[in-house]
Amino acid sequence: MNYKNINKVALVAILLIAFGLPLVIRSATYLHILVLLFFYAYLTTSWNLVGGFAGVLPLGHAAFVGIGAYTSTILFLQYGISPWIGMLVGGVLATIAGILIGLPTFKMRGAYFALATIAFAEGFRVIVENIDYIGPFKINGPRGLQIPPLDIGLANFMFASKEPYYYIILIMLVAVVVLTYVISRSKLGYYLNAGGEEPEAAMALGVNVARAKLIAMAMSSFLTAMAGTFYAQFTLYIHPKSIISLDLSFEIAFIALIGGRGSIAGPILGALLLRPVGDFSRIYFGDTLPGMHLIIFGLVLILVMHYQPRGLQEPLTRLYNNLIRRITHNTTGR
Amino acid sequence: MYYIIEDTINGILMGSIYGLTAMGLTIIFGVLKVVNFAHGSMLMVGMYLAYWAVTLSGMHPYLAIVLVAPAMFLFGYTLQNFVIKPIFIAEKNVREPLTVIIVTTGIWYILDNLTLLIFGPQYRSLADNPLNGQMLEIGEMFISVPKLYGCITAVITALGVYWFFQKTDMGRAIRATSMDREAASLMGINQYKIYNVAFGIGAATAGIAAVTLVPFYNVFPTVGVLFDIKGFIIVVLGGLGSIGGALAGGIIIGIIESVGPQFMTATWTEAIVYGLFLVVLFVKPSGLFGQKHDW
Repeated sequence: MNYKNINKVALVAILLIAFGLPLVIRSATYLHILVLLFFYAYLTTSWNLVGGFAGVLPLGHAAFVGIGAYTSTILFLQYGISPWIGMLVGGVLATIAGILIGLPTFKMRGAYFALATIAFAEGFRVIVENIDYIGPFKINGPRGLQIPPLDIGLANFMFASKEPYYYIILIMLVAVVVLTYVISRSKLGYYLNAGGEEPEAAMALGVNVARAKLIAMAMSSFLTAMAGTFYAQFTLYIHPKSIISLDLSFEIAFIALIGGRGSIAGPILGALLLRPVGDFSRIYFGDTLPGMHLIIFGLVLILVMHYQPRGLQEPLTRLYNNLIRRITHNTTGR
Repeated sequence: MYYIIEDTINGILMGSIYGLTAMGLTIIFGVLKVVNFAHGSMLMVGMYLAYWAVTLSGMHPYLAIVLVAPAMFLFGYTLQNFVIKPIFIAEKNVREPLTVIIVTTGIWYILDNLTLLIFGPQYRSLADNPLNGQMLEIGEMFISVPKLYGCITAVITALGVYWFFQKTDMGRAIRATSMDREAASLMGINQYKIYNVAFGIGAATAGIAAVTLVPFYNVFPTVGVLFDIKGFIIVVLGGLGSIGGALAGGIIIGIIESVGPQFMTATWTEAIVYGLFLVVLFVKPSGLFGQKHDW
């Protein structure tokens, strides 16, 4: 067996395990945690398209989650339109918003882009919190929207058990990872990479850096909004403080950064490693040591930036490669 | 008509305190070219320092400046020297390393939650300080005395920092570094020491702002977040790196917040502030007083 084959086998094994897990894990609580884990991995991977490859720091992605969640929920509650269609409508609206933010800000330096995305997301939250109706659409202000679980079924994106949600978010995650892979091997990926590292040099070579970033932003906001619809259908309750919060925006960005921005595995690794740490320290220290999970999070953030600024995926990839080399050496060698 | 004037005056007073809270942010950005996401948390640390200094000793709240400002300078200096500097050294060739923004966010998380761990989530206030609730009566208008003191302090601090940057050797070295790092290094200026000092000065102004806030504002672990976001808006409005701009930006926000509720629900003023911020960012990203090369 050579190196490439082992990689393929490992990938197939991971996929088989991921798709087989619900057969083993029957507990709804654990499945719930896994669904949220994949939800975060999906969000960080979508964020990575613009935050990782384009070399900017968007800190307002919760706004896109909110646009997706609110669009599909309003369309479903008021007009009975299937959330699957609402998901796409929300995606389109988020894309328009993403382009509107990107157009003027991509020409600026990093800090301004980060601040502009924060201001956009916070402004959007304040508006949602203060409005009960936009024209005929009921937003319901700070109270949020609740989806009554009446017509359960695939067409309405509502299920009685956790398994269907598990498979939907898993398929979404696999799709966005494949998309990231394809993009990273495409002309767009190279343009983004070049523009992120050395914008002046890339522009001198005729690369339209701003346009490449704008395309990445459009895709990223579309995909992020789809996750918003998923979240709304999974929890059946959305309100601005939770879904358009600065905390969510920051969490998406920083999990991806700790995992390793600009790589394919990094954001997923970040979510798989950090979400459980956060959940468990919240469960065990939550009462006695409030805020402990955020102290750990902050420490990890600083330490990773000090010792592995390209993220945790770098040492882990090295470890994996060494392991494989050893295995192939033992089987093919003497 | 009186109430509009009254609101405008109180808005200007509160706004100049906002400007003071953001002054450190703009100083640090001007020199390090980095947005310090931990600035609100440094303000929060300053507020706890001032709160405990006044509570334990019973001194006049403004006397705490002598203690809080130097302590915060040391705090900022050390923080930059041990936590942020290594990142700068690792990313020498990058003009605005985003990793530094990320590290300052880590500092924010740690400071806020460590405070929560130590002091708990409750709101604290200096209830029986001599400035609490004091009003100045001019005709039919009521002007808040602690905010008036805060405004005066903000103006004095701005003038002091301006004088320091213009007239002292250290100030000139800081300005030289902010204009061109390489050239300044070639002139024998130790770039990283300048960063330490600039960060220390930024933290010290946050400490002064904290002292002006404590007599009339609650102290709690996440108080910094409110001023963080406001600070970002203020410094971009005024122009990142401009000290006078920070004051002007703060006053604009203060007036919107205090006059706005006469015409709309109070919570809507927040949306107006974000809208104004985005408009300025898109139309004139260098802000009202910023230098063009900084964006």
